Amino acid sequence: MGSENLNEKGELYIQGGIRKSQLHRNQYTISLMNAGLRAGFLSSHEMLRIQNVFMQILQELINRYTQGESTSVTTETAENILTSIMYASDAYLYSFDEPEKALTYLKTIDVRRIYERGVEKVSQCFIETKQLYKEIMANKLEIPVVAYNMTIDESLPVFLRKYGIIFDAHNTMASIDYPLAIDDMQLQGVFYMKQYMERLKMETEFCSLFDQKELLELLVHYGRECRFNYRIELFNIYELMLNNAIFSILSGGEGDEVRISESQYKRLEQQFMSLTESQIRSVISDAMISLQQKLALHSQLKEYMNGYKENLVQRVANAAKHNSLRTIIITEREEGSKSLVLKFTEKDRMSDIQLRKLLHQIMACKRKEEKVKLILSNFQFFHDYLDMLESDCLYGDEYVALFHAFGDMELAILGKIVFYEELRSETLDLSSILLLENEHQIEWQLRFVQCLQQMNRERIQAIGNYMNEMEFEQMNFY
Amino acid sequence: MSRIFNSLYVSMQEEHLTEILDLNEKTQEYGLVLTLKDVQCMIAARSQVLYGYGRVELGIEVTKEFIEEFSKSSFIQQENYVDALNELHEIFYYLKNETEDKIGDMKLVHKMKEVFENDCEGSLDLLKSRLEEYAEEFRRQLMKESFLEGEDENWDLKI
Repeated sequence: MGSENLNEKGELYIQGGIRKSQLHRNQYTISLMNAGLRAGFLSSHEMLRIQNVFMQILQELINRYTQGESTSVTTETAENILTSIMYASDAYLYSFDEPEKALTYLKTIDVRRIYERGVEKVSQCFIETKQLYKEIMANKLEIPVVAYNMTIDESLPVFLRKYGIIFDAHNTMASIDYPLAIDDMQLQGVFYMKQYMERLKMETEFCSLFDQKELLELLVHYGRECRFNYRIELFNIYELMLNNAIFSILSGGEGDEVRISESQYKRLEQQFMSLTESQIRSVISDAMISLQQKLALHSQLKEYMNGYKENLVQRVANAAKHNSLRTIIITEREEGSKSLVLKFTEKDRMSDIQLRKLLHQIMACKRKEEKVKLILSNFQFFHDYLDMLESDCLYGDEYVALFHAFGDMELAILGKIVFYEELRSETLDLSSILLLENEHQIEWQLRFVQCLQQMNRERIQAIGNYMNEMEFEQMNFY
Repeated sequence: MSRIFNSLYVSMQEEHLTEILDLNEKTQEYGLVLTLKDVQCMIAARSQVLYGYGRVELGIEVTKEFIEEFSKSSFIQQENYVDALNELHEIFYYLKNETEDKIGDMKLVHKMKEVFENDCEGSLDLLKSRLEEYAEEFRRQLMKESFLEGEDENWDLKI
């Protein structure tokens, strides 16, 4: 469209047209006006007139914001309100496919009407977002993944409760932990949230197409593979399911399965190791099409899935090169045969009143031996021990005295908590972890490490063995 | 964003100048008059104060209220008129920040006038120091209140 020229400032512009892709999605109106001015669509006089109307709107909103009590506000508040005004204007002007048409509107139509139509668009988007939330809530997966549950149960409702269309339209107002497979962080405010929820809904819909028992098993196998507690880690469940469904197809399984046996894994490993990147792309594409057909997916979900394809291709190609396919292809990992069964029954925990009373008694004891005796004779359940350790009712060598009174098993359980990060590395055993110079901020953890460091090699070995035999899914602390 | 604010100030200043000059009709009876140059200087000083205290004000109502209220005072003479107005702006925006925007504009202007007339007998230095104490007490009350009852946006110290 048109030829390219240099304007008086030496900037390149397209004669006769402005490309939408070259404008900023955030602050679209400002970017559009600047481009219009450069391309000669807008005169500086018109620009000033438009700016003045925005400022008049700002002035009125400041008045509304302070409920008529004050005509001045802090710069921060004024900028926030102005950004909110521009967000609404962006919402309306961005809806035009051609930027020139949007500019013509700015020039000829009352800017106030543009703002009002923008507010209507933002309001409409908010209504749709609320509706999406209801659908997400109704179809939520039954899985013990904290980030997923917290995002749906707490973060999204906070946004829906706090979002302000007039004064805070650009504000996203929610701390979302659960990561999507594909996220566009360029968006802000309710447009971001709507997109997040649309994608979350699609991802959930996809995961619901599979046997939920298989989904739960996959999470457990994933946790074992990564040597972490999958309940508290941040990862995308849809990605995990989609990958394994594709690998299932590629290794002769069904499309609606996510289980990958050891023999299937071997087959896949052999296949991927011998393929080039473009061949990997080709087999993954075919498997994705086959999966989409088998599951009879709708076009939006297909499109979303296709958007993720290249990511998977790169990961597989990379993993094949580094011989680490097991981190992507999650196979059925059996628990160690000697696994210990530990009881962490939640219902048998002490009541808050009981616990407080005991902590008070412990603190009142003068000698550390008395404290240890009191603890050993009154605490039985692991959660209560943790509460006690975190209550700071012990000091310095009182911790050491308590840890010395514990058996190897109790110390191993504490070790699983204290060395959670270090245990992620398969190469580290307890003795090498103890040689690391890690700073523990919490006092009981610091004392615990010091205490272990003073123990003899045989004892460390015995505690380390217990730790290896323990799985995180047996320890539900949250 | 700041470019937009600046362009607005420029375009609004014309309008503000006229509005303020129109007030001469009222203040003349107290022997107080502002020339165009006085008003320009005052508006420039006011912008500086607003910038310094990190505030934005698009209207001119507070300045107009100062002129209307303080011109009645027997302590304000033509010689110290502009300086007094500049000083009042300085105190006002300082107080807006220090009282966390919890006191309405008109309430604050009237409070300033009352203290200026009675406690301070026309001394702007004294007014400044009295109001600093007042702001300190206000904040103390605010903290006490929010500590006891949590955030309460409707709380207002009686003035």
